[in-house]
Amino acid sequence: MLWLQLTLTGLQTGALYALTAVGFSLIFGATRVFHFAHGAAFVLAAYVFYWADTAGLGMIPGIVLAALAAMAFGVAMDRLVYAPIQRHEGSFFTVFVASFGIGIVVENVVGMVFGRSFVTIDSTLSQSRELMEGVYVAPLAWIAIACAAVFFAALQLFLRRTHTGMALRALADSPELIRVFGLDPRRLSSIAFALGSALVVPGAVMTALGSGLNPALGHHVMLISLAATIVGGIGSIGGALVAGFVLGLAENLALIAFPSQWSEAVTFAILFLVIILRPAGLFGRATAH
Amino acid sequence: MSAVLEARNLTTGYGGAMVLEDLSIALNEGEVLCLIGHNGAGKSTLMKTLFGLHPAGSGEVVLRGETVTGATPKALALQGIAMVPEGRGIFPNLTVDEIFEMGMWAVGVPEAERAARRDWVLGVLPVIAEFRHRRAGTLSGGQAQMVSIGRALLSRPRILLLDEPSIGLAPKLFQDLLAPIRALQQEEGLSILLVEQNVREALKISDRVEVMKSGKMIWEGRPGELSDNRKLMELY
Repeated sequence: MLWLQLTLTGLQTGALYALTAVGFSLIFGATRVFHFAHGAAFVLAAYVFYWADTAGLGMIPGIVLAALAAMAFGVAMDRLVYAPIQRHEGSFFTVFVASFGIGIVVENVVGMVFGRSFVTIDSTLSQSRELMEGVYVAPLAWIAIACAAVFFAALQLFLRRTHTGMALRALADSPELIRVFGLDPRRLSSIAFALGSALVVPGAVMTALGSGLNPALGHHVMLISLAATIVGGIGSIGGALVAGFVLGLAENLALIAFPSQWSEAVTFAILFLVIILRPAGLFGRATAH
Repeated sequence: MSAVLEARNLTTGYGGAMVLEDLSIALNEGEVLCLIGHNGAGKSTLMKTLFGLHPAGSGEVVLRGETVTGATPKALALQGIAMVPEGRGIFPNLTVDEIFEMGMWAVGVPEAERAARRDWVLGVLPVIAEFRHRRAGTLSGGQAQMVSIGRALLSRPRILLLDEPSIGLAPKLFQDLLAPIRALQQEEGLSILLVEQNVREALKISDRVEVMKSGKMIWEGRPGELSDNRKLMELY
C-alpha cells in the first residue's frame, strides 16, 4: 500500500504546489514580470500566520492577516520595485536581480525575527488517521485538495466572467492597447500581484500546520512555482495547476525508488524532460500570436 | 467649420529625439481629415499624443476649445474621442464579444445600454456577427481591423482617430472597411482623423488632406489638389 500512501501524500503536496504555482503564473502571465520574490510572499504569509497563532489570535484572524501581508507584499513589490525599473526601461535581468535580492532580504529579516530553526504549529488537522490498513491521511490533506479545487475554480470564474478578469487576461497581450481601451495597466498589474500573492496563503498556512517552516523555504517554493509554470506552459494558469499536482505526485512517488534528498532532482528531471519533448509546456501554445 | 480637436505648437519625442516639432493641426467638425507621410514622419506619435498615450513636451491639445493636454485616454473617451491604434487593436486571447464587453466597461458605458450598443455596431459592421464568439487571435487581418474599429465605435464617439487601418489589408478589403465608416461619418457627422499610407484609397473618403514630413506639416489642401500635385503624389 506504499504507492497509495505516497499518492495521497503527493496529492496533498501537489495541491499546495499547484495554488502557489498558479499565483506565480497569474502574475507572470498578466505582467510578464519574473517575480522571483513570490517565494518570499509565501514565507511572509506563513510566518505571519505562525506569529498570529503564537500570539493566540486564532486561526481565521491568522489566515486573514497572512493574506493581507502576502497581498501587501506583492503590491509593494509591483509599485515600489518593478514599476520604477520598468519606467526606466530596465531589462528582464534587472527585474530578476531586484526580485531575487528582495527575496534574500525577506528571508534574512524573517530569520532575525523568528530565528532560523524549524518551527511548526500543533494542530489536530495535521494528525494522521488510518484510512485503511497501512494508509494514513491527515485532515489537512483533504483540506489542501479542496482548497486547490475551490480557489482555482474561483479564479477561473473571476478571469472569465468579470471585467477586471478579462482585463487581466488582456494585459499580457499589450499594456499599450489596454491604455487605448481607457484602462490603467499599472492598476491592473497591482491587482494581478495582489491576487497572485494571495494564492500562496493556503499553501503557506498548511505548510505551517503540516510540515513546518524555516525562513529559507521560499527558494523551494519558487523553484516549484517556476518549474510548474514552465511544465504547465507559460501563461497557462490551468497548466500551472496540473503541473503543480504532477510535481507533487512525482516528488512523493519517487520515494519508492530514490532517497528523499533526491526529491528536487525529480522536479528538475521532469522540467528537463518537458523542455526537451514539449518546449511550450503541457498546455502552452507553440506559436506566438 | 469649427475645429473640434487641435494640436497647437506641439513638440514631443522619445528620449532626446524630437519627433514632432512645433506642430499645429486642426480637425474640423464633421470632416474626414487624412494625414499622410512617410514612415517616421511622426503621424502615429501625433495620434498617440492627441489621445493621451504619449506626453506632450510642449504645446497644447485642445478639444472643442478646452485644453486637454495630458488628459488620460479614459477622460478623452468620456469626452467623445475614440482611437483605433496602428496594427491589430485586439487582444488575441479574448473573444470578440469579450473585447466589446471590456471596451464598453472600460469607458463606463452603463450595463443596461451595452446590448443596444453592441447591436448598433453589428448593424454598422454586420460581418462581425459571423465571428463574434471566436477568439480574436484566430481572426484574419481584415476581421481583426473590423473588430478594432467596432470596439472604438461602441463608445459612440464624436471624434474618431484611425491610425493606418489599411496595414496588412488587401486594397479591396480596405475599401470594404472604409465604406461603412464613411457612411456612418456622413450619417452621424463624425469627425475623423485618418492616418494612412494607402493614399489613393484614403483620399476617396477624405474631405481634406495634410502632408507631414519629419514632424512638421508641409502641405494642406483638398484631395483633388493633392491628386493634381504630381510631385507630392509621386512622393506619397
